[in-house]
Amino acid sequence: MNTSTADLDSERALREQLQRVGYLADADLATTTWLAGRLQRPLLVEGDAGVGKTALATALAKAQGAELVRLQCFEGLDLSQAAYEWNYGRQLMAIRLTEARSASASAKESDVFARDYLLERPLLKAISQSGPCVLLIDEIDRADEAFEAYLLEVLADYQITVPELGTLRAQHIPQVILTSNGTRELSDALRRRCLYHYLDYPTLAREIAIVKSAVPEADTRLVEDCVQFVQRLRTEDLAKTPGVAETLDWVRALHQLSQHTLPEDTAVLLSTLGCLLKTREDRFMLTGERVRQLEEGRRSVGVAEKTDAVMAAT
Amino acid sequence: MNTQANAPSQSLAGFAAMLREHGLKVGVSEQQAMLQAALALGPLQGQRLYAAWRAMACHSARDWRQWPELFERYWYPQRLKGQVRVSGQMRPSRDLRQAVQDLHKNMEAPAASVPGKAAPHTASDAPGSSQHTEDAGSLRAMGGASRHEVEVEALHQRDGQMWLPQDLGTLQQLAKHIAARLRPRPTRRWHSAQPGRRLDLRQTLRRSVAWGGEPLRPAWMVQRREPPRLFILADVSRSMESHAPLFLRIARAFAVAAQARVFVFHTRLAEITLLMQRDSSAIQEKINAVTAGFGAGTRIASSLQDFVRVHAKAQLNRSARVWIFSDGFDTDNPDALPAALQAVRARGARVTWFHPTRAVPAAAALQRSHACVERFYPLASLSDLAVASRSLN
Repeated sequence: MNTSTADLDSERALREQLQRVGYLADADLATTTWLAGRLQRPLLVEGDAGVGKTALATALAKAQGAELVRLQCFEGLDLSQAAYEWNYGRQLMAIRLTEARSASASAKESDVFARDYLLERPLLKAISQSGPCVLLIDEIDRADEAFEAYLLEVLADYQITVPELGTLRAQHIPQVILTSNGTRELSDALRRRCLYHYLDYPTLAREIAIVKSAVPEADTRLVEDCVQFVQRLRTEDLAKTPGVAETLDWVRALHQLSQHTLPEDTAVLLSTLGCLLKTREDRFMLTGERVRQLEEGRRSVGVAEKTDAVMAAT
Repeated sequence: MNTQANAPSQSLAGFAAMLREHGLKVGVSEQQAMLQAALALGPLQGQRLYAAWRAMACHSARDWRQWPELFERYWYPQRLKGQVRVSGQMRPSRDLRQAVQDLHKNMEAPAASVPGKAAPHTASDAPGSSQHTEDAGSLRAMGGASRHEVEVEALHQRDGQMWLPQDLGTLQQLAKHIAARLRPRPTRRWHSAQPGRRLDLRQTLRRSVAWGGEPLRPAWMVQRREPPRLFILADVSRSMESHAPLFLRIARAFAVAAQARVFVFHTRLAEITLLMQRDSSAIQEKINAVTAGFGAGTRIASSLQDFVRVHAKAQLNRSARVWIFSDGFDTDNPDALPAALQAVRARGARVTWFHPTRAVPAAAALQRSHACVERFYPLASLSDLAVASRSLN
């Protein structure tokens, strides 16, 4: 029971630490993150773009005073860019220098395939850390299946095998956070090695708290109005749903324009919507009339307005 | 065996079995981790345990969405209304707090348990687990009403009324043939291959170290090609009752041969890919259970919108092919279907429509959607699929 109380405290402490560095995690996310650290399991975070997946890793590193090592995945990412690469230039130079020094003495293979000639890429860098480390493997769904298979060894045993050198084991197990936007189905093998958390858009209250914490100088009324508007906007049929980052941008923009509430003038509001809407179709769909409806909290056009519109058309 | 001592482990095994029944991949390692978490968190932390187990048992957004209902149904069945009660059988205790407390007690008093006898980790180990899976785990309990029971039976019979082994073999061959014909999309990525078209400079340099920097063994690369991603949406509404089994059989063949993602729709959309990829005689029954609550008319446009916005949001791109198996009769507004199809086309995906009639259905919604559909094919039998296979690419 004592262990549980201590664990509860450490979990609460983690949540508070995250809050101190500006990341407001809900109770479930805090539990999962804490558990991932305790069980030394990677944490796979999925969710739409802009919900705070990457921010979780950066905040965690900051909160725990750990080194953040980031691996940004992309199509074609391979071992030499993700784990390690031999420093060919240095190896060749060593061979030439040895040959120049003495014609009889040639460099041994073990000399040029030593750790000194190994260039550390993010994965190797993470497992070579002597102190606490957070390894962020960002957008893993953009990497290829082959790379995903390679990751299994790293994530399961926290080790990297370099054929010429042997197996390099982590001195200090890093806390691994993988993020995915779901552009490709990840393999079951990878998923099963990780704890999983689906990060959804924050609730109204949580988003207000996030914005207030990130933009404390903005007026409270402005923050509340903006967040309510964005929450309603997310229910619209948009090609790109605005995330928390977009809300922050918008609040900052309106604050810069010295607004204390949502502008009464729809034209002003429309001129700043570029912070929220990132495609031409979305911008085209959100007419002044629709913006006004969203501002007033209506989800669809009322019957009276529809009738008026039909009358006007005829 | 000390049944009292094993009861919490049995409950957990039963819960894991129920999760597996619903498509969650919960193996021995997940169960062990869940056990560890229960011991670490203690019996009074229901909400934290809920979050911890969710992180361990869920591996995808689909699992994530299912979790709250499954958790409630197993551990707090009294909170759910409309459940089918199985009379005459005693259920083991499913009180979460009690189960975790018992686990703690077992851990604290190892002498109480039989030495050398491990707690069951899998459903098959757990005595009475089959009963778990049958009463709590069965999706049949979802509908609750006797009307649903009748539906399940009727559909189950329908599944068994056709298909000889040679037909199934032909279908599988056809699916493989069509999957091979689907034109792969060249990507920007190059990968090592011998012989290749482009010099792999990095690999060539790496090899040259063995010859003191002389590039004696050049390495080559070719452009990587990816097979298209296939999505199949099958209409299982009442109007398609006689065609749905054929559609589902075909969909299943493609789920296996081309890793297609399969959805069924009626008034709403549900993904059944996982069920399709499994080899089980009860598939039809499970599909029926997934579609429980489907009634009234067919809402093709709404289902397509749901497909674009939620289920395939990040996967619909230039290389995606969307096959719709339906007669096109839609209870949504006739303008909604062209708009929904346009949304699919806007992502670059190619839409092909398979209809069970000889001619393209005269449904108003479908007539207005011609511009968004690349091709229409009749699909009422295997021979229709064979004909279509000549031009599908």
